[in-house]
Amino acid sequence: MGRDTFEITVNVVKMLVVFLMMVQMVPILVWLERRGSAFIQHRFGPNRVGPLGLTQLLADAVKFICKEEFLPQKAVALLYYGAPVVALVPAALALASIPFSTPVEVSPFEMLGQAWGPYTFYIQGFHMNVGIIYILGVSSLGAYSLLMAGWGSSNKYSLMGALRASAQMISYELALGLAIVAVVLLYGTFDLAEMVSAQKGPLTFHMFSREYVVSVLPNWGIFFQPLGFVLFFTSVFAESNRLPFDLAESEGELVAGFHTEYGGFKMLLFFMGEYGHMMVSSSLLAIFYFGGHHIPFLTEASVHDWALSLAGQETTVASIITSLVFLASFLVKVALFLWFFIWVRWTLPRFRYDHLMDLGWKTMLPWSIFNIILTAVILFLAQGLVL
Amino acid sequence: MMINSAEVLFYILGLMTLIAGVGVVAMQNPIYSALCLVMTMIGISGLFFTLEAYFVAGVQLIVYAGAVTVLFVMVVMLFDLRKEVSSALGGGINTAAKAVGVGIILGLILSAISLSKLGTSTMPLKGLGASSIKEVAVQLFTKYIFGFEIISVLLLLVVVGAVGLARSRGGTHA
Amino acid sequence: MLEVGINHYLILSAALFCIGLVGVLLRKNALVILMCIELMLNGVNLSFVAFGYYYSNLNGFIIVFFVMTVAACEAAVGLALAVAILKRFKEINIKNFELLKG
Repeated sequence: MGRDTFEITVNVVKMLVVFLMMVQMVPILVWLERRGSAFIQHRFGPNRVGPLGLTQLLADAVKFICKEEFLPQKAVALLYYGAPVVALVPAALALASIPFSTPVEVSPFEMLGQAWGPYTFYIQGFHMNVGIIYILGVSSLGAYSLLMAGWGSSNKYSLMGALRASAQMISYELALGLAIVAVVLLYGTFDLAEMVSAQKGPLTFHMFSREYVVSVLPNWGIFFQPLGFVLFFTSVFAESNRLPFDLAESEGELVAGFHTEYGGFKMLLFFMGEYGHMMVSSSLLAIFYFGGHHIPFLTEASVHDWALSLAGQETTVASIITSLVFLASFLVKVALFLWFFIWVRWTLPRFRYDHLMDLGWKTMLPWSIFNIILTAVILFLAQGLVL
Repeated sequence: MMINSAEVLFYILGLMTLIAGVGVVAMQNPIYSALCLVMTMIGISGLFFTLEAYFVAGVQLIVYAGAVTVLFVMVVMLFDLRKEVSSALGGGINTAAKAVGVGIILGLILSAISLSKLGTSTMPLKGLGASSIKEVAVQLFTKYIFGFEIISVLLLLVVVGAVGLARSRGGTHA
Repeated sequence: MLEVGINHYLILSAALFCIGLVGVLLRKNALVILMCIELMLNGVNLSFVAFGYYYSNLNGFIIVFFVMTVAACEAAVGLALAVAILKRFKEINIKNFELLKG
């Protein structure tokens, strides 16, 4: 956590900020969803509360908190109350290990009469060297919130919805994991920060140990893994239970799926978990296939020099400015993918359950394995047929 | 990373794992047993993290806590087993004899551990971190390649066998 | 006592193994027996990884993969069998399946 008080304090504050960021993105996302879906459906969304309807969710949150808090008569209290918490925790844990930007280098400075040494702060909750395995593992724990909610509600329809939804989640985890295996093969590391730094510069193809540089395009993962991108993009829809894979909620079919018996603040926690999963998925899409925090045609060194000229040659402030610039770039990419999630939700119809399971097992799984084999063969050829 | 406070973490995680393990055995309702098993798996994954086996810890989360126990919980929830709850533990001399037997085994193992010279000799290897994944992979594909291929055949057999066993007559689709 | 050495992990592993053993011997519900077998296998995994860490031996980590895979396979087949028995006999108390007796 740190060698001395300053570092420990900053790290703890960083973790809190990451968690609060996930919680505070939910109002913005819900506003985007409601206004965006309204414009897609050629109507106005909520536009009365505050400017452009931005504080609608503040009013909604007050409404949720003031609602009656009930427990169905035959429900199991521990599972019923524990399920929303279990929905929120994996998303928060996964978001904590995603690198948002370049590390901030703090040079030695004086404060309170003591010299604090040089530090390097990573802009992530904590730095994992097996980042992607940890994120996969923690995301797969999200299936338990569905099962606990379905069983704890003591309601036949909730249970059916929960079982179908958890079967869908574990089926699409396979395709997700195999798409990630291909990315790991390509970059040769599990560490997300290293994957991001392997995507800098112009597009460089290695074939038979020669390099071909296409200087108009950045060196992003999507040019190396187009099939993997399609598979990963489809699987994350299934993982966060978003349309077209939202058998879990299926408004209008299963009453309301596993969260039939939930109202008020507990349901808000379920949606926070779902939006948290969406944020983690968008961040992973940006990191694997779109260069993470890199801006095309700009290198980190040039941005750092610009920041140095802006900050009067102080390395600490320049480092902070560089981190902020790249953080903005990363957040723009994540916001783009979040808008994609919302756009697809209101465009495509829902899959039927047996179509969904067929798609997961009979289409995505073979294509994922083919993607891995193709990546391995091309990587082998790229190093010049040397065994 | 929690390397400096690994001792505190070991005690907390160890206690949680033990209590969850006792919960698996002692709970009457099989659903609670299954959920206690999930806690045990997560606790063991945490213990692997303290032992600096990061890849094995992640795989434990993905495979065990994320797939195998989900399967257990789904099967227990699909079949309502409330009728069998009452017959959880029979009384009598059989039960006492079995418990005493297991107690003897535990005592033998513990005495073997404490009488041996295991704890006194070695220092743990520092730096058995990220680079160990590469070495594990190299070993897995050179020295243990036969076991690796046999395991893949075993997985294929199990997939075919499980589907064949649980199939209903006439199938699920028309 | 406070410095965590290999003995701590081995004692924890032995305790988990014996708790699982008690569960296998005493419980009557076939699904819970399968869960206790998983508990025993996890105890063994813990002791393998502890040896691998404290003796700087990579074989410990590798054997854990094999144990985990075989345990997952066995859980899958065991659950398929349990589902088949449940569908046929409508109960899963192992006292009623002592067909080879008498």
